[in-house]
Amino acid sequence: MHFVSFTMASLSEEVLLVVKKVRQKKQDGTLYLMAERIAWGPEGKDRFTVSHSYSDIRCQKISPDGKAKVQLQLVLHTGESTTFHFANESTSRKDWEAAKELLQQLLPKFKKKANKELEEKNKMLQEDPVLFQLYKDLVVSQVISAEEFWANRLGGINNGESAACENKQEVGISGAFLADIRPQTDGCNGLRYNLTADIIESIFRTYPAVKQKYKENVPHNLTEKEFWTRFFQSHYFHRDRISTGTQDIFSECARQDEKGLKSLVTQGVKNPMVDLLSLEDKTLDEGYGISSALPSTSHASRTVKESSNFAIIKRFNHHSAMVLAAGSRKRDVPADQASETSSTDGNSRDSDFFQPPLKKVKLQEAIEYEDLQQENRPKTVALNLKKSDRYAHGPVPLQSQQYTTSQDIINSVNYIKHEMSNYKPNLTQVLSSAAASSAIAALSPGGVLMQQVAQQAINQMVPTEIQAELKHLYVAAGELLRHFWTCFPVNTAFLEEKVTKMKSNLERFQITKLRPFQEKIQRQYLSTNLTGHLECMLQAAYSKFHIWQTRRMMRKT
Amino acid sequence: MKLNIDGLLVYFPYDYIYPEQYSYMLELKRTLDAKGHGVLEMPSGTGKTISLLSLIVAYQRAFPLEVTKLIYCSRTVPEIEKVVEELRKLMEFYAKETEEVNNFLALALSSRKNLCIHPEEFDAVGRQVPLPAGVYNLDDLKDLGRRKGWCPYYLARYSILHANIVVYSYHYLLDPKIADLVSKELAKKSVVVFDEAHNIGKDLQRLWLSGMSEPFLAFPEGLKKDFKMSKRLEKLLFSTDNVCIDSMSVNITRRTLDRCQNNVDTLQNTIQRIKETDAAKLREEYRRLVEGLKEANVARETDVYLANPVLPDEILKEAVPGSIRTAEHFVGFLRRFLEYLKSRLRVQHVVQESAPQFLKDIFDKVCIDRKPLRFCAERLQSLLRTLEITDISDFSAVTLISNFATLVSTYSQGFTIIIEPFEDRTPTIANPVLHFSCMDPSIAIKPVFQRFQSVIITSGTLSPVDIYPRILDFRPVTMASFTMTLARTCLCPLIVGRGNDQVALSSKFETREDFAVIRNYGNLLLEMSAVVPDGIVAFFTSYVYMENIVASWYEQGILENIQRNKLIFIETQDAAETSMALEKYQEACENGRGAILLSVARGKVSEGIDFVHHFGRAVIMFGVPYVYTQSRILKARLEYLRDQFQIRENDFLTFDAMRHAAQCVGRAIRGKTDYGLMIFADKRYARADKRGKLPRWIQEHINDGSLNLTVDEAVQLSKHFLRQMAQPFSQVDQLGLSLLTLEQLESPEMLKKIAQIAHQT
Repeated sequence: MHFVSFTMASLSEEVLLVVKKVRQKKQDGTLYLMAERIAWGPEGKDRFTVSHSYSDIRCQKISPDGKAKVQLQLVLHTGESTTFHFANESTSRKDWEAAKELLQQLLPKFKKKANKELEEKNKMLQEDPVLFQLYKDLVVSQVISAEEFWANRLGGINNGESAACENKQEVGISGAFLADIRPQTDGCNGLRYNLTADIIESIFRTYPAVKQKYKENVPHNLTEKEFWTRFFQSHYFHRDRISTGTQDIFSECARQDEKGLKSLVTQGVKNPMVDLLSLEDKTLDEGYGISSALPSTSHASRTVKESSNFAIIKRFNHHSAMVLAAGSRKRDVPADQASETSSTDGNSRDSDFFQPPLKKVKLQEAIEYEDLQQENRPKTVALNLKKSDRYAHGPVPLQSQQYTTSQDIINSVNYIKHEMSNYKPNLTQVLSSAAASSAIAALSPGGVLMQQVAQQAINQMVPTEIQAELKHLYVAAGELLRHFWTCFPVNTAFLEEKVTKMKSNLERFQITKLRPFQEKIQRQYLSTNLTGHLECMLQAAYSKFHIWQTRRMMRKT
Repeated sequence: MKLNIDGLLVYFPYDYIYPEQYSYMLELKRTLDAKGHGVLEMPSGTGKTISLLSLIVAYQRAFPLEVTKLIYCSRTVPEIEKVVEELRKLMEFYAKETEEVNNFLALALSSRKNLCIHPEEFDAVGRQVPLPAGVYNLDDLKDLGRRKGWCPYYLARYSILHANIVVYSYHYLLDPKIADLVSKELAKKSVVVFDEAHNIGKDLQRLWLSGMSEPFLAFPEGLKKDFKMSKRLEKLLFSTDNVCIDSMSVNITRRTLDRCQNNVDTLQNTIQRIKETDAAKLREEYRRLVEGLKEANVARETDVYLANPVLPDEILKEAVPGSIRTAEHFVGFLRRFLEYLKSRLRVQHVVQESAPQFLKDIFDKVCIDRKPLRFCAERLQSLLRTLEITDISDFSAVTLISNFATLVSTYSQGFTIIIEPFEDRTPTIANPVLHFSCMDPSIAIKPVFQRFQSVIITSGTLSPVDIYPRILDFRPVTMASFTMTLARTCLCPLIVGRGNDQVALSSKFETREDFAVIRNYGNLLLEMSAVVPDGIVAFFTSYVYMENIVASWYEQGILENIQRNKLIFIETQDAAETSMALEKYQEACENGRGAILLSVARGKVSEGIDFVHHFGRAVIMFGVPYVYTQSRILKARLEYLRDQFQIRENDFLTFDAMRHAAQCVGRAIRGKTDYGLMIFADKRYARADKRGKLPRWIQEHINDGSLNLTVDEAVQLSKHFLRQMAQPFSQVDQLGLSLLTLEQLESPEMLKKIAQIAHQT
């Protein structure tokens, strides 16, 4: 089909809906609804002339039902709007309906993101006055478009965000999430449970067995609603009540939980200090090899009430353990790594060998009296500064007013003499004479390194408002240049386009911003040298651009 | 630092010292000087163990001929290991300070289970190899064993004979069976320390049960069940523990008797067979029995060994009576005895009698005399040896019966017999049990007091200290109770007597089921869970009570609300499950989520687990943990206490309950940098007779304003307290008050102050 050819920019994009015969600006064309954007291309052309990302769309407006013209208007956040006219006589209404429905589903998903982005941008501008100024300098004065301005930065945000997502502390589960499903009587002998997505998520995370059941049964066997209804009716949820039927799909969950709990118990505890089993030094079985099994509470003799109480207690322990585990499950991997590295100190992971270090640590902890000891940290000596400015400025060259005794002088002279007499040039590693003489020249008075720089600070020469303006100029130029230089090496078409644009942006900046400033300075008879460095930077960029361009030309020809 | 304790140079491995530690060492020194026994109470977390070790080690170095050995008895394995680690620290300090190689040998001993490195193989190599000087913890012994291919257990057992310091559990000294094997030959000039000694009664009761079985015999399955039964009874009826030793009981059921019957039959058959093949063997045994137990008597009189209380003095002097000397006669005798016991179990009502009554009855009914009964245990041993029965564990039923026979005929006092036709909970099911209960813990510990030069009983909660010497029947030269000196009031005991609706809070029997009380208890926990950071531990008076309360909190939705603040973990009767819950509880405290542990006074958690720092910022004691008084065995024990020691029943029960309450709430404060709330949720705590029985270091901080608080008031006070405590607290704040440098310690006014710390009784 022919539209496949023009999905060039979007090979990976999923086309959700194609509507033919849609007019835009009185031109026939085809409307495409894709996963992330909506696009329209005129008939016979292989290019989209309209393309809006869903996140840019504020809302869709539709023509009233009875109207002859079936239209759909998209209003963007920028205030612009695009109107599509569904012109296919026979199916226009249906097409429109379909497009509308789909948009209705899609837009909210992106809205959040868009809003978030907007918020984020707003926040960044508010928090960072420099950035705000930059924004004003570049975007408001239309040196570059807002999109370009944010392209780089938001990337930063997004990247940062995704990175944050990775590192973000996993939100644990409220211990009381089951309590939040407060059943309400609905007045006609029934109960209403309010489930939110959060609670469901919590249930799934805490009780993987339920999730398993959900996957198995929904939606093939049960609807979601039925599933949850059964869940709440189940013996599983009301663990304290006695099972009413064996048909319960959750009875298996209960069994699994039981098994999980058992395995947890048999795993034993890592911390020997809380291991009640090995607490006592039982000698009853000593020498006989009979393991003294603990009296298991016999279930047979329990009354109904007792066993329900017992179930409640078990359930609470299990629930708390599961909640705790759900909170830390994600962290298992790094924790494992940590223990791996800690176990490299000669302890194999063998359980028998692995235990002592932990035990030792716990034992040491247990016998520690921190207040009886001197504090363990190496003692820091308070810095006693007689002249704090000397500390702040670092070593200063020795001044001639420091006296040396004649004895010192004689000694040092002797020392130097001695050194000189023993001096043996290391001839394999000397500099070439040219390099040496240039170094000497640079270090001699008048040389490059010894130039007496006019140490007159700029803040004494230039009025403050000029300074501020200059600062802004620097920031703006820096931003533009950053954009410019990031394009190199230019290896994609996109970058080519961008670099050209950036060059023109730079030129525009030079004309609209830098020139007026220079003129202003001249008018005030200040040293034009102020902008010299800026010009220099721009020039460097231009020359780079030219080199690149000529190369490209050469390659093309 | 180096201290001068009453003329003794003591190396103390820290740079600072608590004033009470100094005072404690002074008292200890006096006890050792007098070569007598002592009772010393000092709150946990004040460095009791290191003070003890420092002083006794210094004493040993100064007077190597006066004190040759320190036997340090503790209760749990972690406790034992902690002591050894502290000792190691001390020894390292010695090495550093004196710069000489010291030849001290110190080691821990534990059961084979904890020391075995080859569970399958029996490995006794290296049993007689002397251990080089040093400090050996359980893991060190295992390491050494692994390297050298020796069995760590036997190595340790051999080494304790020449070690300077031995750290092991009570069992090794108090359990007659094990003491006979392990500790019999320990030198007389030893100092014995029972740490955490408030449990001594309880341990004795446990030990006695196991002491009933002879060496090399285990309980067979059936009896173990009985043993478990009694433990469960204990748990259910008494909510465990320890009204000292009331249930050092042997329980004889029909099943026991049936098994015993089988044993006797087997014995008879074996005798028959041997008689046909090797009659000389039986004749040889007969001859030996005529000779009597002279050897054992000689050994005891020359005082080489620690006495075995199961083997009373009298029978050592006599020969086995003629009526049971031949094997067949003895078996016949056993049969008669067995038939008698069977007939006794056919009762319809509860019977309680003393040992002499029992003896009279047995004489009247089946003409069994007291004398042959006393020799029963020894005679059986001899027979089993003669018959060369390899699998002795099959004969434990008959062993148990014969032990019972010996004990019941030996001790006319201190034991009681109760025969119950059915369990209290199931009166319709006939399940007759004969309880043979020891009432007198001093029987087991007596040899220890008699043999060793100094026995120190020490713990954080012994109050009132004078009751122990009476119960354990010894005369201490020092009895002292030390308080914890504090630079800031880091504990906050509150007595919550009313709910917000003014309903009196109490766990007493009449109001147990009262919903208003349960609800108010729930509110207290709920409000606290919102105020207290990290961990809260709540104790209930018994397991059943906790189950009921948890169930009704669940129904009322209180637990759900608590879950909004913290995770909930609950102690169960299964130790493995509880360990898991405990670890998860600590994990939840560690990661900042916070948790609540619901637990039971007298339970495993209350006795063995500390909740330092954030693991326990508040302890709530719901109710007064009285022992269940309806048990006949307990009643018998109370009667015995009244008759024997003039301790009134109520006094004893209150003493016991308050000790357990203190034990529970004390779990939260383990040191001076720690802090925690102690909430006593029962109006009865406000009464002077109850309050007065709390340890002094808690009592001191209960002011009149916090005697009968409502839940709200308690929450307000807690908030205030917690906020204050959360402020940074450094060493400097403590210095000069609750923490001293050497110079401060040596100043005269401080010495005067310290003299007042010890609370002499």
